[in-house]
Amino acid sequence: MSGTILRLGLLTVLLAAIARVQVWREDTGTPVLLAAGALLLCGMFAGKVAKGVGLPRLTGYILVGVVLGPYALEFIPGAGVKGLELVKGLAVSLIALVAGTELHLGLIRRVGSKVAILCAAVCGITFGVCFAAVFALKPVLPFLAPMTVPQALAVSALISTVVVSFSPTVTIAIVQETQARGTFTEFLMALVIIGDLFVMVAFAVATGVTKASFGAGFDFQGLVRDVGWELFGSVGVGALLAVAMLVYMRRVNRELPLFLVGLCFAAAEGGTRLHLSPLLVALAAGALIANLDERQSQRIHHAIQLAGLPVFALFFAAAGAGLKLDTLMTVGPAALVLVLVRAVAIHQACRRFAPTEDPRLRRYLWMGLISQAGVTFGLAALVARTFPDFGPQVEVLIVAMITTHELIGPVLTRRSLEKVGETRGDERPHTA
Amino acid sequence: VQALLVFLAVAALSLLASSRTLLDPGRFPGVAQLVASGLMFLIFGALLGPGQIGVLTARDLEGLRPVMELAQGTAGVILGLNLEPRLLRSLPRQVFSAALSHAGVAFFFVAVPMAVTLLLTTRLPLPAVVGGAALLGAAASLSSGHFAVLGYRSGRMERSRGLAVALLTMLDDGVGLGVLALALVLGAAASPAEGVGLLSLALLLGMLCGALIAFLTYGLKDPAELVAAMLGGVALVGGAAAYLRVSALLAGVACGATLALVGGKAVAQVARALGRFERPTYLVLVFLVGCYVQARDVEAWVLLPGYVALRFLGKVVGGKLATRFAAGTLELPPRLGHALIAQGGLALCLVAQYLVLVPGELSQHIFDVVVLGAVINELLARRAFRQVLEPHRVAPPAPPVPPAQEGAA
Repeated sequence: MSGTILRLGLLTVLLAAIARVQVWREDTGTPVLLAAGALLLCGMFAGKVAKGVGLPRLTGYILVGVVLGPYALEFIPGAGVKGLELVKGLAVSLIALVAGTELHLGLIRRVGSKVAILCAAVCGITFGVCFAAVFALKPVLPFLAPMTVPQALAVSALISTVVVSFSPTVTIAIVQETQARGTFTEFLMALVIIGDLFVMVAFAVATGVTKASFGAGFDFQGLVRDVGWELFGSVGVGALLAVAMLVYMRRVNRELPLFLVGLCFAAAEGGTRLHLSPLLVALAAGALIANLDERQSQRIHHAIQLAGLPVFALFFAAAGAGLKLDTLMTVGPAALVLVLVRAVAIHQACRRFAPTEDPRLRRYLWMGLISQAGVTFGLAALVARTFPDFGPQVEVLIVAMITTHELIGPVLTRRSLEKVGETRGDERPHTA
Repeated sequence: VQALLVFLAVAALSLLASSRTLLDPGRFPGVAQLVASGLMFLIFGALLGPGQIGVLTARDLEGLRPVMELAQGTAGVILGLNLEPRLLRSLPRQVFSAALSHAGVAFFFVAVPMAVTLLLTTRLPLPAVVGGAALLGAAASLSSGHFAVLGYRSGRMERSRGLAVALLTMLDDGVGLGVLALALVLGAAASPAEGVGLLSLALLLGMLCGALIAFLTYGLKDPAELVAAMLGGVALVGGAAAYLRVSALLAGVACGATLALVGGKAVAQVARALGRFERPTYLVLVFLVGCYVQARDVEAWVLLPGYVALRFLGKVVGGKLATRFAAGTLELPPRLGHALIAQGGLALCLVAQYLVLVPGELSQHIFDVVVLGAVINELLARRAFRQVLEPHRVAPPAPPVPPAQEGAA
C-alpha cells in the first residue's frame, strides 16, 4: 500500500514538473497524449489505493482524475481531457459487450417481466417526482424562469427524463470488479440496462414535445422512426458485429484483446455517426454470442478483462478530470435538491414495488441505481446541442448532478453488492 | 471521424496485406515486397492524405497528431530498450568502426552534395540548410537488416553472415539519432544554445520517465497491469515530449535506454508487453507518415534521383570500408553494400519528427524526398540483395514473406 502511494506521489511530482516547465515554454503542443498517459498511470495506481482503503477501484480512478484535472490541481490541461472523447465510446462498448455476454435467454425468461415492471415503476415515480421538483424550482433556475408554463412543463419533463437515467457502465464495472454473482446482481444489471432503454424512448418523446412547445411542431412519424432506428438499428448492427466476432474467433483467432478493442472502437465511433446507441450495439452483440456459443462468450469475457484495465482506468479517470467542479458553485443548490429528490424517489419506488420474494431487493436495490455517468453525459450534451437557447444551462445543471453521483454512486453500488453477500472479493487486479 | 477513418483504412489494408496472393513474390514481386515491408500502408496513406485524394484533410492530420506522437514515442522506447549496455560493451571496437563506416560514408555522400545544392537553390540561412541536409544524410545512413534476417532464415544466406549484417544495420541507428539531435539543435529553436537546451530537456524527460516506469513496473506480476503500466509510460513520455514541443522519438529512446539500464528483471517482461503493439503501431505510423507526403512537391522529385543514387553509391563504398574494418571479427558477405540498401522505419520516424518540430518548406521537401526514397530503396533492395547471395543459394524460390516478420525491422 505504501509503495503504491509512493508511486502515485512520484507520478504527481513528475506531472507537476511538466506543468511547471510548460509555463516557461512559450511554444507548446497538444496535451492529449500526455493526458492519456498520465490518467492511465495515475488511475491504475489510484485504483489500487482505493482498493486498499476499501473503496471501489473505480472511485480511485475518478478521484485521481478530479484531483489532477483542470478544475483542481490543473496538472492535466482541459484540452487534453477533451481530446480523450474517443476513449469514452470505446470503454462503453467494451463494458456493454461484457454485460451482453451475461444476458442469457434463461435469465431473461426468469426475471425479465419482474424487472420490466419494477423498472417502469422506478422510472415512472422518479420521473414524476423530479418533474415536480424541477417545475417547482422554476423561479430559481435562470433558464426556466422566463419560459411560459407549457414551455416550462415541457423542459421540466425533458430534464426529468435525463435525471432518471442510470449508469449501466458504472454498475457493470463494479460487478466486474467485485466479481459479484447471484440473483440480486442479475436483477440489478438487467434493471439498469432495461432502464436505459426506457430512458432512451422517453427522452426522444420529451425532446419532440419540447420542440413542439417552442413552436417547431410535433413530428410523430419522425419520432417513431428515430426511436425505432436507434433501438432496432442498434440491435441489427450488434448482430452483424456478433457474426464478425464469431468468424474472427473461429478462423483467425489471434490477438483477440487487440481485435476486440479495435472492433469496439469502430462500433462506438461508427454507431455514433449512424445515430445508433453504442451501448445497445455492443450489448446486443454480446448477448447474441452468449446465446449462440457459450465457449466463445467466455473467451470474450477473458479477453476484455485483459484489455479492459487500461481502457477502464483511462475512461473513468478522464471522466473524473472532466467533472466541472466550478458548476457545483453556480447551480450546486438546485442540483443538490434534485440529487436528494431522485435518491428518495428511487428508494421509495424500490421499497414499494420490488418483488416480495427477495427482501434484499427492497432493502438494497436502490443503492445500485444511484450512479450516473456516460449515458447521462450523452443525453445532457444532446440537450445542449438540440436546444442551443437553454440547453447549455441544462447541461451544466445535469453535469453538477453527475459530479455528485459519480462520486457516491460507485461506493453505494459496491456496498449494496457486499450487503447482499454476492461479491467474491477483488482478487484479480485487472478488473475495472 | 478521422480516427475512425484511419482505423478502418489500416484494418482494411491489414486484411489486404494478409492475402496470400499479394504476398506471393512469384506473381507480383514489387507489390509483395511493399506489402510485406508495410510500405504499402505508406502508399495508401499518401493516396488518402491531403496531398492526393484528400479523404483525410490537413485538419484531420492535426487532430491525429497524438497518434503520431504515440507511435514516435513507442518507436523510441523500443529502440532504447534494444540498447542493452552489456551487449554493447561486449562488442569489439572493429564492429563499431564497421557500422560507423557504412553509415558515415552514406551520410557524407548524401549530406554534402545535398547541402551544396540546397544552398545554391534556396535562400535559406546556413544553419537551416545544414540541419536539413544533415537529416537527409542521416536518413540515408540508415539501413534495415530484414533482407539479411529473412535470407538466413530461409537458408539463402549463411546464418553468421546474416546476423553480422543485421548487427551492423542495428548499430547505424545511433548515427541516425545523433544527426536528428544535431538537426533539431540547429533548426528547432531560435538559437543553437536554445536548441541544446531543448534537446537536453527531451533526454532528461526520457530518462526521468524511464526510471519512473522501471519503478512503477517493479513488483507488478499481473500481465494486464504490466501492459497498462507500459502503455501509460509510453504515452506519458511521448505525450510530455509533444506537449513541451521536444522530440518524442529522442525522449522515447532515452526512456527505453534508462529502462534497459535500471529496469532489472522487469525489462524483458516490459519489452514483451510492448512487442505486442510494435507491428500495429508501426503500420499506423507508416500510414500517417504517408498522409503527410506532398506528391506534387516538384523540388522533392528533382532531388529524389540524386538522393537515391548517392545513397546507393555511399552504401556500396561504405560497405567495402566496413568489410575491411570488420575483417577477422565479423563474417560479412562480399558486396556488403548491396545488402544495406533497404531502409527501416526509423528513417521515416526521423523525418516525420523533423517535419513536426521544424515545420516549413524545406522540412517538407526533405520529408518527401526521404519517404519517396524509402519506397524506391525497398524496391531496389530486393534486386541488390541478390548480388549478395552466393550463386548456389539463389536458386530456391523465395517463400512468401509473412508480414509479421518484416517491416518493423
